[in-house]
Amino acid sequence: MTQQTQTALTPEVKAMIGVTGDVVEAWGVVDAEYLRRFTQAVMDPDPRYWDQEFAKTTPYGEIITPPIMVSYMASRIRPDQEDPITKAFEEDPMSDGIGRVSRPGSLPRVPTNLIRVLNAGNELEIYKYPSIGDKVFSQHKYSDIRERVGRDGSPFLIVTTETTYKNQKDELLCITRASSIRR
Amino acid sequence: MTIALEELLKLSAEEIWARNERPTAQQLRDKQQTFYEDIDEGMELPKYIYRPTPTHLFRWSAAIENFHRIHYDLDFGLNHDKNPSILVHGSWKQSVVPQYLKDWTLPKGWPWKAQFEHRAMLVPGDVLIMWGRVTGKQEKGGMGLIDLEIGMKTHDGIESMPGSATVVLPLKGGPDIPYPFVPPKD
Repeated sequence: MTQQTQTALTPEVKAMIGVTGDVVEAWGVVDAEYLRRFTQAVMDPDPRYWDQEFAKTTPYGEIITPPIMVSYMASRIRPDQEDPITKAFEEDPMSDGIGRVSRPGSLPRVPTNLIRVLNAGNELEIYKYPSIGDKVFSQHKYSDIRERVGRDGSPFLIVTTETTYKNQKDELLCITRASSIRR
Repeated sequence: MTIALEELLKLSAEEIWARNERPTAQQLRDKQQTFYEDIDEGMELPKYIYRPTPTHLFRWSAAIENFHRIHYDLDFGLNHDKNPSILVHGSWKQSVVPQYLKDWTLPKGWPWKAQFEHRAMLVPGDVLIMWGRVTGKQEKGGMGLIDLEIGMKTHDGIESMPGSATVVLPLKGGPDIPYPFVPPKD
């Protein structure tokens, strides 16, 4: 007699596919100082990021910024909200610094008892380099949730969140898809 | 001419670090266009070598405001999450990918799309090799589409980020790649 494994892909979980968050405007604008810190941290010395005269001679005609830099701008903690870092540690002194820290535009949690989260992979589609002065608007969507079975026979979920980034002119900057494993 | 990945992996970590081909600002300024016609299947891209330290990890956490303690709090990483050390960020690796594709397609190509998985835990002390290899090419809508296999290996050959990408190179005598980028129609 074989033991029936309970599915993790319940109707409640399936119902999350297609759930879309609000369009969120990132705090601040794309600016030269954030660009400097970001490109130094990723170790990209490209003069297209900092030499205005040279940038004018490129096909872009201006200083450009790394395409997915805006994805980190979009998740900035706003100064006009309660500090979620302090809150997270008040609720749990052993907070990992990320799990209970809510970010602007976060989607509702997938209703599952599988709480361990692992980064499974990413997809990037790049259409335009953000310009200095751009405002950034992002929107998350659960684009896919699939079930897989681990080596031990336990089901787990692969949850894919698609995020679209646009600027104030409604120009598409990039699309990212982040897949996470819920075990 | 870049060293073949297979040959690079026969070297010691120190020797691999010495073969770093990450371009300088001046090299990026002077970069000459690679055209679609210059590319053959199997060609390898330059190898970008990184040697992240705790300070590099901290700088990345601060730059992107990622407060996950596994990246900077060694005690938390070892004793709470039972990791071997503080961990290199997946988000940093994710940000190296478009840089790598941008650099290769400069000055007039386009780093269109990429996908990759995160498979291994990377820690300070690892020497990391960002690599790429041409797996296919096709001309479409006046553009040269190049398919790549990409990844980031450790000096001891563990693949931490298997993936693929499609970039666009101009054709010799062909039109400019549109900017903002518009994918060619099927």
